[in-house]
Amino acid sequence: MFLALKEMSRAKTRFGLLVAAIALLVFLILFQQSLQNGLITGFVGAIRNQNAPVLVYSVDGQRVIQGSIITPDLEAEVRDVDGLGTVGRLGQGTFTATSTTSSGDSLDATILGYELGDDGQGLGAPSELVDGRYPSGELEAVGSTGGDDAFAVGDTVVLQPGGFEIEIVGVADDIQLNVSPTLFVSYSTWSDAVQSVNPDAGEPLPNVMVAAPAEGVTADQLVTDINDRSLDLDALTRDDAASETPGVAQVQQSFQLIFLLYGLVVPCVTGLFFLIVTLQKADALTLLRAIGAPAKRLVASLLIQVVLMIGGGLVIGTALYFPLTVTGLGGLELRFETGAVLFWSILLLTLGVASSLVAARRVLRIDPIEATTGAGVGA
Amino acid sequence: MNALELTDVRKVYTMGDGSDVVALDRSNLTVAEDEIIALVGPSGSGKTTLCSMAGGILSPTEGRIVVAGEDISDYGDKELTKFRQESIGFVFQSVNLVPFLNAKENLTVVDELGARTGKEAQRRADDLLGELGLGDRKQNMPSQLSGGQRQRVAIGRALMNDPKLVLFDEPTSSLDTELGEQVMELIRTEMKRRGTAAIVVTHDERITEFCDRSVHIVDGRLES
Repeated sequence: MFLALKEMSRAKTRFGLLVAAIALLVFLILFQQSLQNGLITGFVGAIRNQNAPVLVYSVDGQRVIQGSIITPDLEAEVRDVDGLGTVGRLGQGTFTATSTTSSGDSLDATILGYELGDDGQGLGAPSELVDGRYPSGELEAVGSTGGDDAFAVGDTVVLQPGGFEIEIVGVADDIQLNVSPTLFVSYSTWSDAVQSVNPDAGEPLPNVMVAAPAEGVTADQLVTDINDRSLDLDALTRDDAASETPGVAQVQQSFQLIFLLYGLVVPCVTGLFFLIVTLQKADALTLLRAIGAPAKRLVASLLIQVVLMIGGGLVIGTALYFPLTVTGLGGLELRFETGAVLFWSILLLTLGVASSLVAARRVLRIDPIEATTGAGVGA
Repeated sequence: MNALELTDVRKVYTMGDGSDVVALDRSNLTVAEDEIIALVGPSGSGKTTLCSMAGGILSPTEGRIVVAGEDISDYGDKELTKFRQESIGFVFQSVNLVPFLNAKENLTVVDELGARTGKEAQRRADDLLGELGLGDRKQNMPSQLSGGQRQRVAIGRALMNDPKLVLFDEPTSSLDTELGEQVMELIRTEMKRRGTAAIVVTHDERITEFCDRSVHIVDGRLES
């Protein structure tokens, strides 16, 4: 510890630059991790955080809710499947609207209509509210929080054209769809809303069926049974429906590639830095070995520096990242993700220590006899 | 008790082509406990090899090495490291100070590597630097010290663990004549004051006048 700290205190600029480089990389990793999760939640949060374990699309819909249309024949097929517990309709539409929170400016809102059930928590309802209550009848909605157009209990949303009004009676986190403010309403409210902006449309068909398995049947089994029933039906579990929404996998893959690059850059920078430092101070290390420093002590000193450098970078990088998670970014809500911080901390520390083993190997190879010849470890 | 006893010590290096080079051949040497000897010989004569074996940096191929009653002939790497840490003082020819430690820390690092006595080591380092005329330079980094001052710090470091034997490898080679003589005078004074034995490796005959006796080495053989 003595040697490690003394060296660092005497070379503040050199070690400070490494900490700054690691901090910047950590900040970018954590920021992009939040960005990825914020984007995906914005895209498919409404699917992930509704309560139906199974969603059934028409094959033509290509796993996009708005593109899927469940005809009466398909609906009948679904309702006939063995192992089905409960089932309901889900409709979705995108509307131009104004709300009391948008100061008169119009916004594009997504409305999802589900069959309320007795308590407003029918299949397809948001899993959890953060304020207010579930809709108990017509013209009431649970609105999404987050972003610039977050709803609050008591807000009124007016659809344009037509002036169809919906009151927000509850709000829930992470229930956006297509990165737009989202409302969960009764199925009939959704149907009325569609007809209010397009009176010639007639009675809209549901976009997907939401289902729950009967007791003793798993969601996976129900998915299999529905898909076996008709080639025109495409049943997915809730998680699969979210992750297989077009675009989600591509976004995840792009971010994974970026994370992989970061995961390589941090240990490369750290390993190279300490290898260069080790070669530069070869004479001093040789002298220390000659006067009785055990090789393990010198390696421990090196590893202490590696841990302190990466630890410092992690702390500063996390401190830079935190304010962004408070303010958000445009319409995206970025969360402080403790799990991501822990995961990356452990991973980067492990990779950093592993990458410095090349320098450690150099230290172990020092022969104290070189102190008498003037040749260091790099010689 | 003698500070050093070498009995029939031999060091053979095997070269890359498989041939053997005898660096030191069946050498015998005894250094009394407060004796300062000059080990004189031309380059490549084996003086540094002898010194390195006496200091536990190298192991002999054959023979017996006893330092202050401790037989180190068969010591392994770990034992030799501990031996160097506790029982020997070194002043090398070229690299002598750790550049990122100040003068005082270059002394206390010896304690950090070994006994870790803390305040006692701090006090001892202060005393040694004071005795060596560096009391006002202890916070200076090696780069802020002159060649003579650096050599004096190295002497202080060599004395930090209160060794029975201090090995000086060409201690004046990088100094001018006047400064070299001052350093040798200092070495003699400090060794005699402490009753510590020393071997001064040199190829400069003028150094021998500061030593109790001279031992010449030629082609790996000692000549008294």
